[in-house]
Amino acid sequence: MALLNEEIKEQVKQELADLAGPVQMVMFTQEFECQYCSETRQLVEELAELSDQLAAKVYDFISDKEKAEELGIDKIPAIAVIGAEDYGVRYYGIPSGYEFSSLLHAIKMVAAGKPELSDDTLEVLSGLDEKVHFQVFVTPTCPYCPQAVVLAHQMAVASPMVRADMVEAQEFPHLSIKYQVMGVPRTVINETVHIEGAAPEPMVLAKLQEALA
Amino acid sequence: MFDFKLTTAAAQQQSQPQQEAQPDAASEQDTRIYDLIIIGGGPAGLTAAIYAGRARVETLLLTGSLPGGQPTNTDIVENYPGFPEGISGAELGRYFQEQAGRFGARVVVDSATETDFSTSPFTIHTHTAAYQARTVIVASGAEARRLGVPGETKFFGRGVSACATCDGFFYQDKKIVVIGGGDSAVTEAIFLTRFAREVVIIHRRDELRATKIHQEQAFENPKINVLWDSVVEEILGDQTVNSVRVRNVKTDETSIVETDGVFLYVGMRPKTEMFAGQLGLDEHGYIISDHRQRTNVPGVFVAGDVQDPLYRQLVVAAGTGAIAAMEAEKFLGEYPHSQIDKETSVVCD
Repeated sequence: MALLNEEIKEQVKQELADLAGPVQMVMFTQEFECQYCSETRQLVEELAELSDQLAAKVYDFISDKEKAEELGIDKIPAIAVIGAEDYGVRYYGIPSGYEFSSLLHAIKMVAAGKPELSDDTLEVLSGLDEKVHFQVFVTPTCPYCPQAVVLAHQMAVASPMVRADMVEAQEFPHLSIKYQVMGVPRTVINETVHIEGAAPEPMVLAKLQEALA
Repeated sequence: MFDFKLTTAAAQQQSQPQQEAQPDAASEQDTRIYDLIIIGGGPAGLTAAIYAGRARVETLLLTGSLPGGQPTNTDIVENYPGFPEGISGAELGRYFQEQAGRFGARVVVDSATETDFSTSPFTIHTHTAAYQARTVIVASGAEARRLGVPGETKFFGRGVSACATCDGFFYQDKKIVVIGGGDSAVTEAIFLTRFAREVVIIHRRDELRATKIHQEQAFENPKINVLWDSVVEEILGDQTVNSVRVRNVKTDETSIVETDGVFLYVGMRPKTEMFAGQLGLDEHGYIISDHRQRTNVPGVFVAGDVQDPLYRQLVVAAGTGAIAAMEAEKFLGEYPHSQIDKETSVVCD
């Protein structure tokens, strides 16, 4: 049975009608599919049908280990959203609920290859000489979460030093415990700095600088 | 079991008119003077944008922190006319925004942080830019009120939450206190029993304000208890919340109630801090307006929950948004652009 109904498919077609360039959703699952792995695979496959510019490529986390390492994939289900280049935009866990919108936003953003960020933010990001890792913990039922995810993904698109993961907290309970996630969105930058809630761009930028200090 | 929501977050880029479509538009200084800037992307602001767009009023809408507004947070809206089966709040918000975009409003996902209504054209600062406009509609809405007790800020996201749908999952088999006695408090307490082993509603009075049908559901639920006549005076914990200090308002006795989580539903407050000293506010912070949605500053109009302490209904918010836009259009017609752009004191005396 299809995951996306006809009405949603029609809306997605419109959303993706004028993609600025080709986008690949590189999805990782495994032979005995993990919780939500098969649905995540099905989702990217159904989405790929909705735009000529959009393709789905499915890999096995175990047998395609080299590919997983190349893209820095360390858990499944995973989706790397890749445009003209790999900007470091990742989804861990199924982007359902409100996160479906952030996935569409990510597809449009990597297609264009240009983030929508302020000059201040772009200046800081262009001067980065250390790697930055955003992990944005979400639940699919959180309306505030996509904003935090979109902002982190924009920073990833803006700088080759930044990689940004959406992490669906319910599917990775060990990470929720490790990072003490009791509310979402919760953004963890480089393992050390935390942001509670969907913070505005200047605050996230300040936290990023704090993580590097 | 999976649900895929297309919300306003995804519609953002598309709703910008073609001539603005350079993807880094946000980083460039926008020097034009808009006819109208709408502060807030909920039902009031988006309805205003639909009306303004159709009147060919050049409009910029700043969505604020929750594009689509409060309905985005609502599972099913059953009292908005035209949807006999109900509609998801997220979907409705998306339709509003699509419709606004269709008639030409430029929608920017950003929040106003500072406004200057002392001279015309008015200036609106956001987190990342500054914009100017001849008229403004304030539709910044309302947000969940905080308690203002020690521990609340410290433990926000560490056991304190205002969003049961977001965070309920983290309280499987745990104990939760829900503070409040209105519809939100009671319905969210019922929702949280899906996860928690025990939910205690802490309410300052000896009866709930919630609609009777919700009260009945709560009293029938074996996981829910109510602590009457009680207020929370402090939220306590170490890394995360472990208890609250509660005072009985009748006996003045205090006690410690152990809990893993605190969910706050103590009412709404209008988002008007940035307008203090510029727009007339009532004693609860709501913007004062006349029946034509005009504020004390000519050219600044208001719509939606930010001016409505009484009804706070989606359909009412949309209605006031329509009035505000029609009044803004009329105002622009009465004051020629050249006059507003040059002679600032004329409209602001």
